[in-house]
Amino acid sequence: MRSDSLKEAAVPGAVASSSPPPLVRVRGIAKSFSGNAVLHSVDLDLRAGEVVGLLGENGAGKSTLMHILSGGLQPDAGTLEMEGAPVRFGSVADGIEAGVSFVHQELSVVGALSVAENLHLGRMSRSRAGLVDFGLMEEASRALLERVGAGHIEPRREAATLRAGEQQLVEIAKAAARKPRLLILDEPTSSLTPHEVGGFFSYVREARAAGVAIIFITHRLEEAMALCDRVVVLRNGAIVSERRPAETSRQQLITDMTGKPAIYEHRPRTINGDTIALSMKGVSDGRLLAGIDLDVRKGEIFGLFGLVGAGRTELLDLIHGVHRPTAGTISLFGEGLCLRDPSEAVRAGIALVPEGRKTAGILPQHSVRDNAAISSLRRFSRGLFSDRGGDPRRMASYRQSLGIRMATDTQAISTLSGGNQQKVIFARALMAEPRLLLLDEPTHGVDVGAKADLYDIVTREAEKGLTVVIASSEVPEILALCDRVAILSKGRLAGILDRAAMTEDTILTMAFKEH
Amino acid sequence: MQTGVAYIRSLGRYREASVLAMLAAVALYLSFASDYFLEPRNLLNVGRQASVVAIVALGQALVIIARGIDLSVGSVIGLSAVVAAVLMRDTGSETIGLMAGLLTGLACGLVNGVLYTRFRINPFIATLGTLSIARGIALLMTGGIPVPFGGLAEFVGAGRIFDIPVSFLLMIVLAIVVHVFASRTVMGREIYAIGDNPKAARLAGVNLRAIRLVVFGLCGLLAGLGGLILAGNLASADPNLGMGYELDVIAAVILGGTALSGGRGSILGVVIGALLMALLNNAFVLLGISAYWQVVTKGLVIIFAVGLDGLQRRGDDD
Repeated sequence: MRSDSLKEAAVPGAVASSSPPPLVRVRGIAKSFSGNAVLHSVDLDLRAGEVVGLLGENGAGKSTLMHILSGGLQPDAGTLEMEGAPVRFGSVADGIEAGVSFVHQELSVVGALSVAENLHLGRMSRSRAGLVDFGLMEEASRALLERVGAGHIEPRREAATLRAGEQQLVEIAKAAARKPRLLILDEPTSSLTPHEVGGFFSYVREARAAGVAIIFITHRLEEAMALCDRVVVLRNGAIVSERRPAETSRQQLITDMTGKPAIYEHRPRTINGDTIALSMKGVSDGRLLAGIDLDVRKGEIFGLFGLVGAGRTELLDLIHGVHRPTAGTISLFGEGLCLRDPSEAVRAGIALVPEGRKTAGILPQHSVRDNAAISSLRRFSRGLFSDRGGDPRRMASYRQSLGIRMATDTQAISTLSGGNQQKVIFARALMAEPRLLLLDEPTHGVDVGAKADLYDIVTREAEKGLTVVIASSEVPEILALCDRVAILSKGRLAGILDRAAMTEDTILTMAFKEH
Repeated sequence: MQTGVAYIRSLGRYREASVLAMLAAVALYLSFASDYFLEPRNLLNVGRQASVVAIVALGQALVIIARGIDLSVGSVIGLSAVVAAVLMRDTGSETIGLMAGLLTGLACGLVNGVLYTRFRINPFIATLGTLSIARGIALLMTGGIPVPFGGLAEFVGAGRIFDIPVSFLLMIVLAIVVHVFASRTVMGREIYAIGDNPKAARLAGVNLRAIRLVVFGLCGLLAGLGGLILAGNLASADPNLGMGYELDVIAAVILGGTALSGGRGSILGVVIGALLMALLNNAFVLLGISAYWQVVTKGLVIIFAVGLDGLQRRGDDD
């Protein structure tokens, strides 16, 4: 039965009259945002009782496609059918009505309510007096949580006190309660512990046996291979491959996703000398981070890996002077750092490419040139006056060396593609001629070509002697770039691995370490 | 409908040009509607009226470009004038009086800046508070009775050089200085950056607190200067001086193309905006329309200017 579905998926439209139509049939779906085509003519069949893995890089169009399937967005072209009948979802409510449940990556539990109340939002049971029947609700909640492998969560607990992973399970339970026919799970396992992943997998298998069609979006290839009947890869808004896990490999899937077999290949490089560039001793921030000890050598590319909420960004914030450590010392090339503000960090030779290009990176109304110049205005000033005249020359040199594609450097940065915007932010950081470069999720939302370029740039700068600390949630990125990686878990250092010991397995195992 | 909106948006792209066009249109109309309008005396009077609004608007523009707002400028005008006049009367020294007036303005601005940067009070609320406090102190110091005021300030406020009002010349000089500051200095460029995206600017190494403090300080200082000129013009420091001035000043800034959402605006535009406000005031006088209509129109002008800003921003979001 499974192999039939695969064949049919490969030959759209070839439906034998004897077999029933698929639960969901997607034909020719296209969607653009302000002129940028995000999806071009996507065809996809989903059968009852099938788990389909959906893989793709950030920005490949996965979320857009899922939003269209669940009614959150309207396609520009194409059709949706359920069991052979055309459907049109005008809103998320229409989707839910038709049996489509979408568990988002961003958590949406209401923190101030109990777990049970969250699970029954909008459909709370009432007693005969017309009041909320908490007893009944908690009973039902317990059963639901049990089903998704979260029996340990007490329904009466306030949702805000749950870990991210536990909140994720509550979301899944909420979706399960709606008895969906199509269940869309967007990176459901990104903050689950291995034990929770096990429980979650059994729920998915149980739902499959009950005839639910499931779309499972993940960045973890191992999970996709273990759980899915079929793996679909989306790249630049089009489906580029449909494979069965038993007949493919990790490497093949990465090539499908990136279109470039070599993008995540390690770029070999030599590190000269072993001067300590950055040293942290017993550093705490009084909130999350505690007792961080690490040394980074000059010219090293040092990774920081951790799950959501592990403290990657917080650690970079301490080095960059955004917050001040409450304990411990940080030193740069042997000099103690006591920064009160990022402006002092930049003066001390520390530049940051922050996480969240839109919110924390670009100056959207400024030109490309002004965006690049902002960190080094003081370096190139004459007294109070800014060296505006020298800006075009400096910009031209970085445009060349970073391969920034634009019409002119006076166009607003917001008119560039994400990848080019990020290169401008890199130019900004490099123009300040830092001794230490901090990168926080530097390739998020960047297309594959730009991603490969950014990896080359980081490697090249490190080769020239720049010390780089890169925080990333993408294991392949860490493996591609880093000489060593520090793994954070709940604000503590779970361990440091050198190149020889780094594998996806060792890194993830450490990241889940409890302490 | 669609094209109408697109047309207004395209106007918004060249706000300085569109304000200049409005200025020209009002002037053209008045030159036909009133025989008196083109008289040099009247035109110079318009220039004088525009100059105080423009001087205070220069500081306000910097604050708004940095994504802040200062509602207290009207009260700071009154307090600075009163402090200067009282000290001049009590010490007999003109220098002490004028210096004290300017320092009062600077101090008010710095208080606003500290409330914003150190105590993290939204500038709208912080300056609403100082608006009331500064006015109250001015009333307390004088018991509500105007204090005579003269000397150099009277010359700046009411005097002429070659028939041109001194205050107008001073405004032109200050506008050039502030224009150079905003566009050519490191700090000026950083002001635009923090207005565009404060978080990004901070992480890129711009000292957010220091710059916010400086722009609020400058705004207070210029409001203080405005107070001295205004009181000098009347030869009297009324504790109610400058009441409601924040409206004219903010209207001039926004009319001149400065985005209320920060990061965008030009000093030239602000000066044109102030001239337009003064011209509208003049129009009501010349045409003999009730002053109450003037109050209504001022409100309409502000809503129109901010509406332009909103339309343009929606275009940016798409």
